Amino acid sequence: MKKEHDQGKYKYGMVIDLDKCTGCGTCMVACAAENNVSVRPDESDKQRSISWMQVYKADNGKEFPEAETVYFPRPCMHCEQDGRGGHAPSCVSVCVATATTLDKNTGIVSQIYTRCIGCRYCQAACPYKARYFNWWDAYFPVDKGLERYLSPEVSPRMRGVIEKCSFCHHRLMRARTKAYADGRRKIKENEYITACAEACPAQAITFGDLNNPKHKVAQLIKSKNAFRILERLNTKPKVYYLSSRDWVRKIADNPVDEFSPISG
Amino acid sequence: MGVTRRNFVKFAIGGVAGLHLTPLPYKLMDDIAIWTQNWPWVPVPPEGEFLSVKSVCGLCPGGCGIQVRKVDERAVKIEGRTDYPVNPGGICPSGMGGLQLLYDRDLRHTGPMKRVGPRGSGDFMEITWDEAIKTVAERIASLRKNAKTEALVSVDGNSKGSTLSLMIERLTKAAGSPNYVRMPSLEDTYEMGNLLMMGNNGPMAYDLENSDYVLSFGSGLLEGWGGPGRIMNAWAVLREKASKGGATVVQIESRASNTASKSDKWIAARPGTDAALALGIAHVIIRDNLYDQQFVSNYTSGFEKFKTMVLGQYSPEKIVDITGVGKEAIKAMADGFARAKAPVAIYGKGKGTLNGSLFEFMSVQALNALKGNINKPGGIIISDPLPLATLPAISPDGVAERGILTPRFDQAGTNKYPFAVSLINNLIDVINHSDKSPVDTLLVFSANPAFTLPDSGEVNRALKKIPFIVSFSPFRDETSFMADLVLPDHSYLEKTDDIVRPNGLQYQLYGLTRPVVKPVYNTRSAGDTIINIAKAVDTKTASSFPWKDYESVLKIRAKGLFDSGGGLVRYKGAEPAWKWKTASDGPDYKSFGDMWKKIKTDGLWYRKLMPSAIDSGIFKTASNRFEFFISQLELAVKDYPTAAPGGNRLKELGITVEGDAAFMPHYEGNHHHDEQLPLTMAPYEMVNLASGWAPSPPFAYKTIFDDQLLGSDSFAIINPGTASEFRIKQGDYIIIQSKACAVKARASLSHGAMPGVVYMPLGFGHTAYDEFIREKGVNPNLLIPPGKDPLSGHPVWWTTPVKIMKG
Repeated sequence: MKKEHDQGKYKYGMVIDLDKCTGCGTCMVACAAENNVSVRPDESDKQRSISWMQVYKADNGKEFPEAETVYFPRPCMHCEQDGRGGHAPSCVSVCVATATTLDKNTGIVSQIYTRCIGCRYCQAACPYKARYFNWWDAYFPVDKGLERYLSPEVSPRMRGVIEKCSFCHHRLMRARTKAYADGRRKIKENEYITACAEACPAQAITFGDLNNPKHKVAQLIKSKNAFRILERLNTKPKVYYLSSRDWVRKIADNPVDEFSPISG
Repeated sequence: MGVTRRNFVKFAIGGVAGLHLTPLPYKLMDDIAIWTQNWPWVPVPPEGEFLSVKSVCGLCPGGCGIQVRKVDERAVKIEGRTDYPVNPGGICPSGMGGLQLLYDRDLRHTGPMKRVGPRGSGDFMEITWDEAIKTVAERIASLRKNAKTEALVSVDGNSKGSTLSLMIERLTKAAGSPNYVRMPSLEDTYEMGNLLMMGNNGPMAYDLENSDYVLSFGSGLLEGWGGPGRIMNAWAVLREKASKGGATVVQIESRASNTASKSDKWIAARPGTDAALALGIAHVIIRDNLYDQQFVSNYTSGFEKFKTMVLGQYSPEKIVDITGVGKEAIKAMADGFARAKAPVAIYGKGKGTLNGSLFEFMSVQALNALKGNINKPGGIIISDPLPLATLPAISPDGVAERGILTPRFDQAGTNKYPFAVSLINNLIDVINHSDKSPVDTLLVFSANPAFTLPDSGEVNRALKKIPFIVSFSPFRDETSFMADLVLPDHSYLEKTDDIVRPNGLQYQLYGLTRPVVKPVYNTRSAGDTIINIAKAVDTKTASSFPWKDYESVLKIRAKGLFDSGGGLVRYKGAEPAWKWKTASDGPDYKSFGDMWKKIKTDGLWYRKLMPSAIDSGIFKTASNRFEFFISQLELAVKDYPTAAPGGNRLKELGITVEGDAAFMPHYEGNHHHDEQLPLTMAPYEMVNLASGWAPSPPFAYKTIFDDQLLGSDSFAIINPGTASEFRIKQGDYIIIQSKACAVKARASLSHGAMPGVVYMPLGFGHTAYDEFIREKGVNPNLLIPPGKDPLSGHPVWWTTPVKIMKG
């Protein structure tokens, strides 16, 4: 039987150039707007607020006027492994409800809200704090009019479930549908990119297939400045960073106890 | 079988065992869980047809291209356009969240309103449009009847030259008032400085993308200066070049802002000393003969006097004391700037939402003149305003003619403030120092002076004294809460309006927003409302507004673009618009009708830069040259009479230096030293927090760190060394006190802060809007006492002497 889509092994990934990143937060807003993320009246409570894409800041620890700040935009890393050799990311291996899986064809770690039972094991297991728990129903008070901007492509979440970055999976669906309608089985490089990558005004975020040597991401990760956060945990994240500054690369590679972000 | 003890026990055990085996409790629990997760208030977004509509963002004068994804009639997402030259693909966080500003009922005035509660309470009653327009028109008509038309004052926050701002000025003048007052912005500083030094009042433009050495004096390049969509893209272009060793960005700023952190070199000069540093750099450039001698001798005047002043008074040793910047750093900047192929020195303060200091700007412009990088790739571009058609002159009657000739309340353009066009701080002063407000009716357009102006306590006091305030704001902002009548404008996603040359853009560009969705609430385009008001006042006022609607005015003006010839209305994206053209481009339209149709769908007309030989014709000063020694200023000092007999003209203008230096860019010094207030408060701006008229979308509050805002407290950034002097620890509550008032905030200790300076973010402390925005943090504008920038008369807001204590 001929398959509808090309089921070859893709490995979607992201490269974020920290030299270009200006810390403006557009990626966070773009992500929240694209994915119907709830906004609550008090977003300063970072234990409770939800942001699939979170910008962290860190500094070089030097004194005025040598102090420098770096911003780390942090989506879900869509890890390949759990760091102990298991071929599923740590969040997937702890899920008791099979609500989250690693799709071997795309490399995307999914999250199925209606299956999630809200035990928050995965949230505890994630070394990147990329998973968020819905303590309340999405905040859309009746008659406020805000529900009108909600996108039908992503279902709004209910209280009691975990949510996280999906690499804008619905955009992959959209691109596939379009390719299918055009009679193609493969999608082109820029046909599927995440909302954050598209929105970045400084063009710091690149998205594509890490398995395809022609894709820009596959070339960028070969740079000597490329690294991943907490690489020593060996979870094989698919989000890479670039920085020409040594202290930035060092701060990102340190184990958890040595690296504490200022906020978040 | 009777109920025996044995049977009862069997039944109970069976029951307990059965309860564990039956799925019923689990099923029930599951059902309850699912049921409670499907309360009717968890929205289910309806499906529909997907559409994409192109438009232009109107939240700030940056003019980014946007495309809005729609599902049937609902707008669901805003994205940047890749077929728009200003911002190839990216937009800023505020623009990205624009749909919340469109739909949130509590952020917007949902129809024309009459105030029913006390001022500031936000209690309004909806009225009809007819009644609202009639009320304003009657008010103006009665002023006209009593020949008191000067008591009508408009405050306008729309960018200069936009059609809406012309309409507002026109209504004010046609009714008979000279008091059309603009909100201060960096554009005013640019305009005054360029007029004085180059005789040109075209928009200020920096060709950053083509530059290879950007020396930025405080411009918040990454904080939202000059249109974030364009600047961040330019930043990416510069970074790309820098990675190949081809570009350097130097940021001069006392705080480690995003721009300072991300630039190649951060120079921490004390706040308010930019002029001294620029002249110190000029000293080294002149001393070491690094300036463009051909340009200086052919196209400038007063260089010898400037040279004498700079070499005599601005030695690096002296500058080190004033600015705190080391001698080597000054030398390195002078070398880097003067030896670069296409350097540019840019001036700004944060986003540029507020004015800058005139002498500081002129000192920075002097550097550009020394290097002769004017109208060259990578330099500063002097160009004419967009060739839009002018509207026919108004036809005032006797009443209006009398009124227009009365002196302006703000004294702009008088001998005291000869170069200022409008001074809202003086207007506030005049109202507060009169027993009865000279302003009877205040019309406020696209501005929120009650929140955004420095010394906002005084601004609110003045607003309270004004008998009648009319707000045209679509948003429930602080100033509209002071209004007696609200005639809400559409939001930028519901109307057609022009963006006349985005701030700082080097090539000519005209943007046009279009209605992306049908009006969500009962609002009307302010341009239409103005026409309707004029028609309702009387026939004489109406005769200055002979148009059917606002869109026809836009079309009339756009005809000028067509008549000027050339220009493009489509952008393909293959070659960036900032690349200087080699051959003539366009036109890519056939007739004016065709051009207007295309502008209405694509929202764009632009013309690329073309290399042109510099000739003295571009400088329209008295000497037809770039003037280091400003002849117009000398004229204003020596030929204009003093206000008081025997007075000192220089002092009247706020200039404290004497001799030739007074007529040249110079450093005015710091006269605010106060033993009681040993620290300096410097407000700062963030790209993800709106500090101007339009509010931040609630989404943006996700991007605010919890050491900037936590609950209802905002944080003041203090250097750990300074904090320890006052025994202040991270997160402590502190009281910050200035001459104007005292406010409470929390302390955030950072090595990015200069010792002795307290940094407070602009944009927090709203008292209006809704639960997303209200009562979060404090507004540093409250702390800023009245102060005047020398010569320009604009407020000084960048430094305020304060003291702090644990709170």
